[in-house]
Amino acid sequence: MSFSTFVTDKPGLQKFYEAVLASHETYAPAEKFGKFDFKLVSRISECDPESPIAKTQSIKPLFFPRSAKVMKYVATSAGTDVSEVDEDPLAVKRIIIGAKHCDARSLQVLDKVYNWDYIDTDYQKRRENTVIISTRCDKADTHCFCTSLDYDVENLDAMDVLVVNGAEGKIYLRARTEKGETFLKENFSQQLAVGSEQSEVGSRHSAEEEMKKQYAAFAESFRLKMNYKEVNERLSKIFDTPEFEKVSANCVSCNTCAFICPTCHCFKISDEKVKDTGLRYKSYDSCNNGYFTLMAGGHNPRPAKYRRWRQRAMHKFVYYKERFGENLCVGCGKCTIACPVNISIFEVVNQVASAGIQE
Amino acid sequence: MEAEVKDQLVSIEKPELIAPPDWEPVIMGILCNWCSYAGSDLTGTSRIQYPPNIRIIRVPCSSRVDPWFLIKSLQTTADGVLVSGCHPGDCHYISGNYYARRRFLVTKKLLNFVGFHENRIQFSWVSAAEGPKFAKVVIKVTDDIKKLGPLHLYKKENFEKK
Amino acid sequence: MNYTKQIQDIAAKLFAEGKIDVFVGYRVNGFDDNQVPALITDPQDVPKLVFTDKSVFNLVNYLKSEHTRRKRVGLVVKGCDSRSLNLMLTESQVKRENLYVIGICCEGVVDETGQKMQNCVECAVPDAVVSDELLGTPMSGSLTLTYRVNADIAKLSEMPLTERAAYFEEVFENCIRCNACRHSCPLCYCAKCCIDQETATLYNGANTTSSAFHALMTWSLHLAGRCVDCRNCEKACPSHLPLHLLHKQNESVIYENFQEHLAGVIPEDRGAFYKYSLKDPDDFIM
Repeated sequence: MSFSTFVTDKPGLQKFYEAVLASHETYAPAEKFGKFDFKLVSRISECDPESPIAKTQSIKPLFFPRSAKVMKYVATSAGTDVSEVDEDPLAVKRIIIGAKHCDARSLQVLDKVYNWDYIDTDYQKRRENTVIISTRCDKADTHCFCTSLDYDVENLDAMDVLVVNGAEGKIYLRARTEKGETFLKENFSQQLAVGSEQSEVGSRHSAEEEMKKQYAAFAESFRLKMNYKEVNERLSKIFDTPEFEKVSANCVSCNTCAFICPTCHCFKISDEKVKDTGLRYKSYDSCNNGYFTLMAGGHNPRPAKYRRWRQRAMHKFVYYKERFGENLCVGCGKCTIACPVNISIFEVVNQVASAGIQE
Repeated sequence: MEAEVKDQLVSIEKPELIAPPDWEPVIMGILCNWCSYAGSDLTGTSRIQYPPNIRIIRVPCSSRVDPWFLIKSLQTTADGVLVSGCHPGDCHYISGNYYARRRFLVTKKLLNFVGFHENRIQFSWVSAAEGPKFAKVVIKVTDDIKKLGPLHLYKKENFEKK
Repeated sequence: MNYTKQIQDIAAKLFAEGKIDVFVGYRVNGFDDNQVPALITDPQDVPKLVFTDKSVFNLVNYLKSEHTRRKRVGLVVKGCDSRSLNLMLTESQVKRENLYVIGICCEGVVDETGQKMQNCVECAVPDAVVSDELLGTPMSGSLTLTYRVNADIAKLSEMPLTERAAYFEEVFENCIRCNACRHSCPLCYCAKCCIDQETATLYNGANTTSSAFHALMTWSLHLAGRCVDCRNCEKACPSHLPLHLLHKQNESVIYENFQEHLAGVIPEDRGAFYKYSLKDPDDFIM
């Protein structure tokens, strides 16, 4: 099925965003303390759809919230009454603007685990009701390496509408799914379109070429490049390498990497109560935590830091691939930026893999 | 006159929130076993009236009071906290209240710094013989907090006041 | 400020004499000119060590790591780091005889943008207070080292209460409860933290504004009188929260009211909450 491409310019895009913000429940990167996080916004001045990738949190919390209520309970003399929590505020019809490729990719990866042996209905609802408008990056950041991984950055199904900055200030809005197509048709008014190419199928070829050119320039701007297949193969063979001890020595086990990672999906269940009334929460957890694997009897199968780091690296690059056929890391580099000692997952897997050759 | 009273019944930290007309403050009173608790007992046996807004908890010494207690009570039921202990020099454990005094000042200033009105966290020295003083202290604290209105900052989510 | 050569020499000498098992220093991170910590066990890696004004991270944090436990450690400390080391020694967390400490007379470090860090501008103790070897010229003589109230604290204290409350509500709202502040703090060494509970309690790790308030307030009060303002927590925070405000507020109250020395400056001094004076202010108590 072919989808339409609309052409506009910078003011046109702004107007389009404004119209979307006015008519829909919209999440966009809003700045606080020099860091962008996706928040519910109502005016374009409150947000920046083109926020720099290094300073923007991922969109994962909009689908897998940092803390979700699971249930309520009340202890009575007759027993414990368990009741449902209030309606999920994230399951309403909504739009996300200013997402990035890596964000869209992360959802594709997460879909696999959420549709696996147990179907997470909350997650499904949030996915179904969301239209994602994703912006193509013009330039790679210092720690980005998405083009080196096993997915096609150009053609992702998870984003519904793709926004690309073309030459001469032109901006292409391209629907990528049926959801995106209907959304664009309903919301993109023809007055915003520019040039003689009135946004119809006739201009599609020139738009496609333009987008390809832009993509080539984007792909060249990467500092980090690796041979993903080789790294993946080597990693799967060298579980016992002492190299993990070296690469993890710096780690302060602060868990930041897992909390801001767009694909990490480990969680803990905790109860919070006042008197007899309690709430059960599902919140983020991290495999870098010393007590992540601690069992009730006191045994901890991963007591050492390097074992926890090995789990993190191998889960991202080997285990998930074996089970679901996808790489869990999307190459956004957000963990490296957030890490207080700048441990880069890119360097870690490459260093470990190349140590495998020497052996 | 009535309108004036209604105007006062807003939260000092969040003026946009108006208290219900029949609102009464809840004050957490944390009293030391040896002086202030005995003092409050004396107030009762002497038939001196004081406001019923205070909910009293007995602790062994004022230095037993972890700043955590204050934070926890402010986040759940309380609109204000009163911590009371022995006069300096009278501590049953010789120096407990001196240590407590330092902690109280830092806690009070920190809570004030992040947005709580300073009158929400109050301290007093009340000895076992000072029944009338205890009543006065409770009256003053209750009045202060009534003026400040209900506390809305950082309340525990889904916590229902009873 | 560049002590790369001296530190490399000392580290090589220590390894050659067999005095240490591991050396904790800084190296260049490999993609720009910023630095990251380096834990060196192999003498061959010594040439990687550097020390300039970009050596920001407080290395004392690694003394609670399994890489240095029960080992003889060589360590580089700046003024603020040495104060936290002093506190760890006082609180019996590390043994002095296992450490070889290279103290630096610090001229201030810079952040990623090249600006001098705010805590360095206001620094009152630039020289290392505990060291086996001191590099650089001590500045205590030439500088008038007076305590300076943090500029942000002064500004916030003058704000009306409602505005301040709104400001801090934003701070706590943006906390994502990853606890990176706690893990990167050298003085948060408890094996089990009081805000991580296994049983149902009032707060238990959920990410809400009120639980962030609860956790950060508890954390800052546990560090009151002990925080050395190294800003490891702020560097680790993924939301860039101004966490130093809470600590500096406590520090200024303690300094002004109790006339205490700054935390960790005097050896064997356990901090303001472990002692008292009969002259402590009493006017806030009825």
